[in-house]
Amino acid sequence: MSTSFDLVTPSSVAAAVAELAAGAPGEVVVLAGGTDLIFDLDGAKVAPRRVVSLRRLPWRTLDWNGTVLTVGSTLPLRSLERDPEVGRRHPGLLEAVRAVGGVPLRHRATLGGNLGRAAPASDLLPILLALDAEVDLVGPNGERSLPVDRFLVGSRRTAMMPGELIRSVRFPEPRPSAYLWQRVRPEHDISQIGVAAARSPADGRWRIAVGGIPPRAIRLTEVEARLASAPRPERALRVAAEEAAERLAVATDRRASGAYRRHLVTTLVERAVESVAALPDGGR
Amino acid sequence: MAQPWRVTVNGERRALDDVPDSERLLDTIRWRLGLKGTKEGCRSGECGACTVLVDEVSTLSCLTLAHEVDGASLTTVEGVAHDPVGRSVQDAFARAGALQCGYCTPGFVIALVGLLKERGRAAPTEELLADLSGNLCRCTGYLAIVRAVASLPREDP
Repeated sequence: MSTSFDLVTPSSVAAAVAELAAGAPGEVVVLAGGTDLIFDLDGAKVAPRRVVSLRRLPWRTLDWNGTVLTVGSTLPLRSLERDPEVGRRHPGLLEAVRAVGGVPLRHRATLGGNLGRAAPASDLLPILLALDAEVDLVGPNGERSLPVDRFLVGSRRTAMMPGELIRSVRFPEPRPSAYLWQRVRPEHDISQIGVAAARSPADGRWRIAVGGIPPRAIRLTEVEARLASAPRPERALRVAAEEAAERLAVATDRRASGAYRRHLVTTLVERAVESVAALPDGGR
Repeated sequence: MAQPWRVTVNGERRALDDVPDSERLLDTIRWRLGLKGTKEGCRSGECGACTVLVDEVSTLSCLTLAHEVDGASLTTVEGVAHDPVGRSVQDAFARAGALQCGYCTPGFVIALVGLLKERGRAAPTEELLADLSGNLCRCTGYLAIVRAVASLPREDP
């Protein structure tokens, strides 16, 4: 059962913003790559009257400015994955991108779409949190930027105002990083739990984030603090990860029990940190 | 609403006047163009049976609106033999007997042709296989598919 809607393809950012502002909330939705949205349209989970396609906007970009990587919101994930510098300077981002669907899906799926749709089990949101990514927005009142942590509000909910669009995502510095996940069927299911870890070369501080939990991916700040203060972090790690997992509001559903998800958080946090520590500059 | 739809399909220019805005590319290919080689499997992006090339880039036609590819050049499995890379993949699958029921075969062939065009024929077999992980064979006939991939010519003819 699918819904019927009008598709509009504005050819400028101003026209796209105007299209969005013209409709009541729920009446208009944004189409980037469509790999998540069209699935929900098909199931009539979303029933808009108008769909605004971003395909004519000049946002399929990837730019390095010194250490800062800026990814246009409609760049296909496959292009991000194929850029040799991305894999070298942000290994965890490459791992997370490759965790999303298969190649034909990644030829259309985008970073902007993944952020805008804000799925709790997204494989990209944890690494964006661990890399302190910033989301650049453009809307009726001009431009603004939000850290991913403030951009994400809840399950399928973001801090975007009516009429706003994601223009790009910025990664401030290359970091030794990793993304690990667990699934019932690795090749075609969504992750039960995903964990990202990164270590800032500037201050040596860790960032650990977990996805696959309601209502949204979050940083595990207690684990980060423990790693920063412990003289032998590898000893403190397992206990800190277990405690953090115990405090998380994990779901029990057809993909995993809550108890198994807690076990996964502990194990994947431990492995992600070990894997970053083994990278050049990750062990410092 | 419905709008005119103009694409090149397997080298031939096609124009349809009445493709609904909300129609999936998969449905347009199968039911309006009558090209039934492209299969509907899961209709949710998990199985790869509906893979087609859009301007030589492998794409899931079940998760793409027809109008999002307006003006593009499409290749479906019916057109795969028009091109040397496509012919070599077709030959490799035929020689290896890389199918059981055959339902997933068009998706595998198209996805592999797309990979070879993207990465070049010298791409290592293991990497090609990893990049085919979005295509599922419910008969689990993977061994023959692996043999077909491994047997591909690694240089341009």
